[in-house]
Formats: sequence, C-alpha cells, structure tokens
Amino acid sequence: MISFDKVNKFYGDFQVLKDINLTINKGEVVVVIGPSGSGKSTLLRCINHLEKITDGTLNVNGLSVADKKTDINKLRRNIGMVFQHFYLYPHKTVLENIMLAPRKVLGQSEKEAKELAMYYLDKVGISDKADAFPSQLSGGQQQRVAIARGLVMKPEIMLFDEPTSALDPEMIGEVLDVMKALAKEGMTMVVVTHEMGFAKEVADRIVFMDEGQILEEAVPAEFYENPREERARMFLSRILNH
Amino acid sequence: MDFLAPFIEVLTPDNMKFLLEGFWVTLKVAAISIVLSFIIGGLIGILRYAKIPVVSQLLAVVVETIRNLPLLLIIFFTYFALPEVGIDMEIITAAIVALTIFESAMLSEIIRSGLNSIHKGQIEAGRSSGLNYIQTLRYIVMPQALRRMVPPLVSQFISLLKDTSLAVVIALPDLLHNAQILYAQNGSNVIPIFIIVALMYFIVNYALSLIAKRLELKQA
Ligand SMILES: Nc1ncnc2c1ncn2[C@@H]1O[C@H](COP(=O)(O)OP(=O)(O)OP(=O)(O)O)[C@@H](O)[C@H]1O
Ligand SMILES: [Mg+2]
Repeated sequence: MISFDKVNKFYGDFQVLKDINLTINKGEVVVVIGPSGSGKSTLLRCINHLEKITDGTLNVNGLSVADKKTDINKLRRNIGMVFQHFYLYPHKTVLENIMLAPRKVLGQSEKEAKELAMYYLDKVGISDKADAFPSQLSGGQQQRVAIARGLVMKPEIMLFDEPTSALDPEMIGEVLDVMKALAKEGMTMVVVTHEMGFAKEVADRIVFMDEGQILEEAVPAEFYENPREERARMFLSRILNH
Repeated sequence: MDFLAPFIEVLTPDNMKFLLEGFWVTLKVAAISIVLSFIIGGLIGILRYAKIPVVSQLLAVVVETIRNLPLLLIIFFTYFALPEVGIDMEIITAAIVALTIFESAMLSEIIRSGLNSIHKGQIEAGRSSGLNYIQTLRYIVMPQALRRMVPPLVSQFISLLKDTSLAVVIALPDLLHNAQILYAQNGSNVIPIFIIVALMYFIVNYALSLIAKRLELKQA
C-alpha cells in the first residue's frame, strides 16, 4: 500500500531522509518514533506529497508520488492527515470543517455530506458540538474533529503526526481511544507518536528513526523490551525516565 | 449669537449646493477608485502571494515603485504627461486613474500580507484533504485573511477619500476645489467654509470607521 524504495530527501545540503526502505501493507498500523529532528514528520509528509522526495521511489496505492503524471489531489483524497496542532478551519463550524472536502472535492450534495459528517462526528463522540466553532472546543475535542474531517473522505490510509503532543494530559486518552478503535477496524495507519501504551496495544510494527535513517523495525513487544540498536535503547531510556 | 452669524451668511442654499456638488464629485471619484483598486490590488496581492515565477517578481517591482512615489506626482503624471504620449483624459478620469494606480499598489500590500498571515498549517490541512490550490485559497485562506484585512482596508479607504483632495492640482471640481472658489469670492468666509468642509469629510470617514469597528466586533 505504501512503499519507500531507496528514498532520499534533502533540504539544500542537509539530508533529512537517508536511504529509506519501508513497506506498509493494507491494514497495518505502523508507529514511527525517534528523537526530535530525526525526520519522522518529513517521512510522513512525503507520503501525501506535502514534501517532495529528492530521489528514490515512493509508491502509495499503486501510484508513484513523485511522478508528474500522478494526480496528487486524487491521491490525497485517499489519505487522511491529522496534525499535531489540529489545523481546524477557525472560520467554519465543526460540521462545515468536516463537510468542506466532501462537498468541494467529491462533489457530494449538502444533504449527503451532512449525513456523513454527522455519522463521523458521532463516531468520534462529539455530535453535540456540530454547530460549535473550533475555538469553543477543548484540544481533545478539536483533535477528534480533525480525525472525523479526515475519515469523512473514506480514505484507505490515515497519517497522524504527533496527534496528542499538543494536548493536556487528561485529553490524550480520548483521542487515543478513537485512534485505537480505528486501528481495530482495519484502517491502514502511520502514526508518529511516543505513546507507548497505544503502540503496544495496536501497532503491528515500530519504526525507529534517527538522523534521517530507519535504524530499527520491530514488533512493539520486541522493540520496547529489547531494542537491538544502541541508539534506540538510549532513546527509550530517555522517554521512559522523563 | 455672533458666533453663528458667519455660518448663516455662508450657508446660503446656493453655496451649500455648490459645496455638496463638490462633495459628490469627491465621493464619486473615491468610490470608483476604491472599487477599481480593490479589484486590481486584490488581483496583484493574490498573484504576489501565489509566488508565480516572473509574474510575482515583476509585480513586486511595480508595486514597490508606485508605493514610493508621492501620489501628487502620479496625479500630475496622468494628467500632464500621459497626453504627451497620446493618452488624453478628462480631469475626473485622470483623477480616478491616478488614485487607482496608487491605491492598487497600497491595497495589494494589505491583501498580500493578510494572506501571508494565515498559518501554513491551514493550507496543508486543506491540500491534504484533496482540495486544489485555488479551492484552498478560496475556501480556507481568503475568508480568514479577509476578516483580518478589514481594519487596514478601511483605513486605506479613508485615506483614499482624503487623498482625493490632492486632485485640486488638476482642477478636479471636488469638495476642496469648490470650497476654494467660494472663499476666493469672499475672504471673510474662509473659516466657516473650512469648518463645513471638515465636517463633511469627517462625517463620511467617521461613518466608515464605525462600520469597520462593527465588522471587527462581529468576527471577534
Ligand atoms: N523546510 C525545511 N527546511 C529545512 N530544514 C527542514 C525543513 N523542515 C524540516 N527541516 C529539518 O529536517 C529535520 C527533520 O525534521 P522533521 O520535522 O521531519 O523531524 P521530526 O523527527 O518530525 O522532529 P520532531 O520530533 O521535532 O517533530 C530537522 O532537522 C529539521 O530542522
Ligand atoms: Mg515532527
């Protein structure tokens, strides 16, 4: 479903991604971890072409992302993305936030889009906030709206970039619960997060990155109990002891 | 009251009619220039924001040049210099053209920086949901930017209305021009006439700023 083959990415002279080889299959949940600046966000953002790869091949849903002939907007319909800072549209209500892409990208009717939006709002547990503006919601609620906004396009892949890092501790759980439910339904997910509980419960694989490289790939139990790489061990001891 | 006497003397129906005719020209020139420069400035602002190669850079040079010239020079230029190259305009057209050139440059900067003030994450959220660039601008960036732009836009409109008076140099028969004619006829009228003229400008501009405040409150 997603495959990186010898992918490199540079910002000028600086190499952010180094020889990335990674395959993610349909229905898999992959958690990406690593120190700040190791390239996790960049890796994720290459998948939906928010960042351009410099060389190598990156295929998503059978389409080459870097290929000029690939219709990027069409590819993106199939990939939901959730950001650390939500990025809800502040001038639109919750419902309008969720309905925008179905209306304008898929050409759904007002009625159809609204029904679907309500369905997903219900799914993330905040249908009572449909007419609120984002500024009236807590961080946890905003992030759940952002997830519903992604899901409403019925994507085959969902990308999450530190979805709980900007949240107060008491709100992390409600967002992770939504994500766990999604994972158990078989959604293909790539999640940048340091939430170990989440990773242990639903991840099929952990990808550990450092300085632009994938240093280790392992199932969660193995990775957290007994990381092979020295740098992974050091990183884990740091996040566990803080 | 003695104080009111000069006003009563000046406020003859004929004089008032003459001043209001001038004010009407002022309002007309300002309104047309505002509409035109909002359209042109908007277009320039968006094109510069979109960083279209060559086009954006060219517009940047043009805008910076115009913004750094005195408006008076542009007014002189359109009325006295353009006829030399065969572009001959009536006074009122020349005034509108000059104001539009200058204000388009000013407004384009307001619009460009308004668009730039919208966080890049908003665009990424839109684009990653499958909206194309134009849709993202139209449904996500512009509505947010427009709200932020209201105060600077209105204050620019107010200065445009005031700047219309600069066109007296090409004898545009606007409010200030007609006022000059009146007090030229009778020098003792000069103070009451200036006060009346000031009131006219003030009322319209103050109304504009009140509307702007309303709009600001509504979005807050
Ligand atoms: N637009 C850019 N131009 C230049 N360098 C960049 C750009 N974006 C990111 N970088 C650099 O690329 C490296 C990787 O960034 P990235 O955001 O992918 O890291 P990350 O692993 O997500 O870090 P964090 O945990 O802090 O989010 C960092 O050193 C960053 O400074
Ligand atoms: Mg990151």
